[in-house]
Amino acid sequence: MDADAAATPATVRLAFPPEARLLGTLRLVVGIVARKAGMGEEGIEDLKVAVSETCAVAVGDLNRAGVPDPIEVDLVEAPDRFGIEVRDRAPSAPGGPSNAADGEVDDRELGLALVGALVDDLKTSTLDGGGNRTSFWLRRGPQGLGAGALDDLPPPLT
Amino acid sequence: MDLDLNVRKDGDHSVLEVAGEIDVYTAPKLREQLIELVSDGSYHIVVDLEKVDFLDSTGLGVLVGGLKRVRNHDGSLQLVCTQEKILKIFRITGLTKVFPIHGSVPDAISAPAE
Repeated sequence: MDADAAATPATVRLAFPPEARLLGTLRLVVGIVARKAGMGEEGIEDLKVAVSETCAVAVGDLNRAGVPDPIEVDLVEAPDRFGIEVRDRAPSAPGGPSNAADGEVDDRELGLALVGALVDDLKTSTLDGGGNRTSFWLRRGPQGLGAGALDDLPPPLT
Repeated sequence: MDLDLNVRKDGDHSVLEVAGEIDVYTAPKLREQLIELVSDGSYHIVVDLEKVDFLDSTGLGVLVGGLKRVRNHDGSLQLVCTQEKILKIFRITGLTKVFPIHGSVPDAISAPAE
């Protein structure tokens, strides 16, 4: 790899149909890519949770809307951090019905809050022509988020 | 991706050993098992998460639902977990204040119901 190539963030792009059974495969691939990028084990686990939660919301939105379009996930390897962008073509923004069964918490809201607690710079926006884009970063390195990162977490959600 | 569930009785307690990944796809299986236990009269449940590789918010919701169901019968739901990656999920969401989390099944069984 020459100097120019090293300076350009490498992107791995994944696409999968909105089927919940594929989330395990997605986590497996995300873990492999992040590990090869040199991310620490704690960071890899955080990344798997964050990506899985984000994509689970997209799967739910797409299924409720009856849209079979694939979910796209970009894994961006930058020098000091690891970026994720998830795009889906669900027509409505978050705010659909909860998946929670009777007596349970709203796991959709819990999931999104969990992502917000695990990652840096979480952003959501609407795609031109309909759909949603969610992006965030995690710092790279042997310790993932780094020692003491939990000290910076927001207060517990409950 | 599989979620394996194994139930055994230990005195007044039902011990539910969970192995695999708990996410939006597999969590319904765990929900059904917890509902079945409560329907069969098991109101003191220990959920052993030591062989769980992944836990997401859907799984957390199912466990909270199980806790509410046993509490409706003055029961208890105790967790067993020593894996840092799983404990972190409970800590971030504040659920360490909701669930008693123990280091072993015997500790969970001998703990007083809260």
